[in-house]
Amino acid sequence: MITKQVKAIAVGILASLLIVGQGWAADVKIGIMVPTTGSEATAGKDMENAIKLAVDEINKSGGVLGKNIVTITGDDGCDPQMATAAASKLVSNDVVGVVGGYCSGATLPTLKIYGDAGIPFVVAAANSTKLIDANPGTAFQINSTGFDQVNSAVALFKEKGVKKLAIVNQGDGYSEDLARLTKEKWTGMGNEVVAYAVVNKGEQDQSSLVTLIKSKRPDAVFWTAYYSDGALLIKQLRQAGYHKLIAVGDGSNSPKLLEIAGKAAEGVYCFSNPTADYLPAAGDFIKNYKARYHQAPDAYGPLAYDGMKLMADAITRAGSTDKAAIVKALKETKDFNGITGAISFTDKNTLAKSNFVVLIARGGKWMLNK
Amino acid sequence: MSNLDIILQQLANGLILGSFYALVALGYTMVYGIIKLLNFAHGDLYMVGGFVGFLVLSLISGLMGSSWAGILCSMVFSMLAVGLLGVIIQRIAYVPMLRAPRLSILITALAVSMVLSNGVMAITDGEYLAFNTDLGYEGLDLGNVFISYTQLVLVVSASLLMIILYLFVHKTLYGKAMRAIAIDQDACRLMGINVNRIIALTFFIGSSLAAAAGVMAGVYYGSLHFFMGFVIGLKAFTAAVIGGIGSIPGAMLGGLVLGLLEAFGTQIPFIGSEWKDVFSFGLLILLLIFKPTGLLGKTEIERM
Repeated sequence: MITKQVKAIAVGILASLLIVGQGWAADVKIGIMVPTTGSEATAGKDMENAIKLAVDEINKSGGVLGKNIVTITGDDGCDPQMATAAASKLVSNDVVGVVGGYCSGATLPTLKIYGDAGIPFVVAAANSTKLIDANPGTAFQINSTGFDQVNSAVALFKEKGVKKLAIVNQGDGYSEDLARLTKEKWTGMGNEVVAYAVVNKGEQDQSSLVTLIKSKRPDAVFWTAYYSDGALLIKQLRQAGYHKLIAVGDGSNSPKLLEIAGKAAEGVYCFSNPTADYLPAAGDFIKNYKARYHQAPDAYGPLAYDGMKLMADAITRAGSTDKAAIVKALKETKDFNGITGAISFTDKNTLAKSNFVVLIARGGKWMLNK
Repeated sequence: MSNLDIILQQLANGLILGSFYALVALGYTMVYGIIKLLNFAHGDLYMVGGFVGFLVLSLISGLMGSSWAGILCSMVFSMLAVGLLGVIIQRIAYVPMLRAPRLSILITALAVSMVLSNGVMAITDGEYLAFNTDLGYEGLDLGNVFISYTQLVLVVSASLLMIILYLFVHKTLYGKAMRAIAIDQDACRLMGINVNRIIALTFFIGSSLAAAAGVMAGVYYGSLHFFMGFVIGLKAFTAAVIGGIGSIPGAMLGGLVLGLLEAFGTQIPFIGSEWKDVFSFGLLILLLIFKPTGLLGKTEIERM
C-alpha cells in the first residue's frame, strides 16, 4: 500500500512538474499523435522523432511568432479506443494544433474530437479514403490517398503508350480496392482492361495466370498486392517470355521483391509513398536525423517532418495561435515547399498534387524513375 | 496466341505442376500404404527440404557456383538430411503411437506439422527467403509456347526419381519387403522381416522425395516461406487420393491429373486462377464420395 501511495505521489509531483513545464507562458504547444506502443510503435516513434527534429530546427531559427514550440505526445497505439483517449488528452492539454496520425483506423475517430475543439490537425501518414468523408474541416491530409496512386499509375501507363492493361490483385481489401479503382479510371478514359485477375495468397505457381495474361497480349501488367507473391508473378511472367511493362503498387515497395524476383525484376515500375531514400530534397533531413537518432529515418519520417514544418508555417502566416486562424491559414496553403514535395490542398483538405513517386528497379535496387 | 497454343502451354504448365504434386504425393501414399498413417507433416518436410537446399546452396555456391552442379549437390544433401529428419520424426513421434487408435497418430502428425512450420517460422522470422540461382530464362520457343530449360530439367529429374522409386519397390528385396508389410505386418514379422527398419526406410524415401520437390520448387519459383508446405501438402494429399491412396503409380498419376486439372480449369472463361483450389478440393470431395479408392486404388488387399 505504502509503495502505491509513494508511487501515486511521485507520479503526481512529476505530472504537476510536467504541466508547469509545458504550460510555460510563452510557448506554442503542439500535440503529436502517433502510436508509440503496440505493433506499429516503430513507425510511430520514427514519426515522433522526425517531428521533434523539425521542432528543434524551428526553435533554433527563432521559433514561431517569437515563441518556442513545445510538443506533447499522445500515444494512439494504432487502436481507435486508445486514439480517442490520446486525442482527449491532447485537447485537455490545450494544444493549438496536432501533427501525426499513422494508422487510418486509429486516426478516424479522433477527427471529430479535434474538430469539436476546433484544433487544426495535420494528418501526416494515414491515408484511407474514409478519412476524407469523416473530416470535419479542421484536418489536413498531407499524404496521398489511394486515389492518388491510381492517378500515378494511370499517368505512367499513358506516358508509356499502354493501350491494353492487365490488372492482378489478391482479393484482399487493399489490393482489390487499388485494382478496382485503377480499372474504373482506365476504362473511364476509354482504354481497355484485357485481364482482371485474382490470385490466391501464398500460391507459388502462377503459370495458369501467366498463360492467361500472355494470351490477352496486354501492353502492361499491374500487380496491386504485396511483394512476396508479386515477385513470383514477375519472375514467372518474365520466364514465360513476357517482355512488356510490369508495374507494382506500393504494397510491393520492398527490396525483398527485387531479391526474390532477381534479374526478372529489372525495369519493373513501383509506386511509392515519398520515403526518404527517394526524395532529392531529403538529404539534409536524413543527415540530421541520423546525427541525432543514430538510425536512418523510416518510411513516414519525411511526411511527419513536413507536417510539423507546415504547421509552424501556418501559425506564422496566421500571425497568432488562434486555432480558427491556423485552420484558415492551413487551408490557404499554397505550394508549401516540403521535402516530400509541394503541399497545397483540395477543397476536401487532401493533397492537391499526388506525392506518390514512381520507382524503377535498376541493378537490384529501387531508384527514382526519371 | 491461338487456342491450340494455350492448350499446349497449359499442358506443359500442368505437367510441371503435376510432377511437383506427384513427388510429394508419393511420400503420402508410401507412408499410408505401410502404416495407414496420413502423415500431415509431409508438406512441411517439403518446406524444410527447400530451406535445407537453400542453406547448402548458399554455403557451397562459392565453391561450385549456384548453377546446376551446385543445385544438384544441394538437392542430394537436402534429400539425405530431410530423409533422416523423416526417420527421426517417425522414431520420436510415430513409433510410440503405432498401437494407439488411428485418430491419435493422425493428431500427432498434425502436431509434428505445426512443430516444423512454426520452428522454421521462428528461425526465419516468418520472412520470405530468396532462392537465387544462376539459371537463365532460355528455353524452347515453339512459336507461342515457351518451355524453359529449367522446367524441362525439373520434369525430367522428377520423372527419373519416380522411375528409380518404381524400380526400387518392384525389383529389390527391400521393395518386396515394403509391399509385404503393406499387406500384412504381423505375417512379415513371422517371416523374419525387420518391420521397423523397413518402415523407417519408407519414411526416409518418402521424406527425401518431398525434399527433392522442395528444392526444385525453390529453384523454380525462387522464394521460400515457412508456410509453403501447407497448401502443397493438401494438394499432394488430394493427388494421392485421386490416384488411390497407398498406390505408388496412383500417386504419380494423381499428381499429373491434379496439375493438368488446375492448369486447364483456370483457363475456362470467367473462371480465374482464384478458382484453382476450388477445383482441386472439389475434386477431392467428389472422389471421396463416388470413388473413394481413387483411380488406381484397387481393393484393400494390395496397397503398394
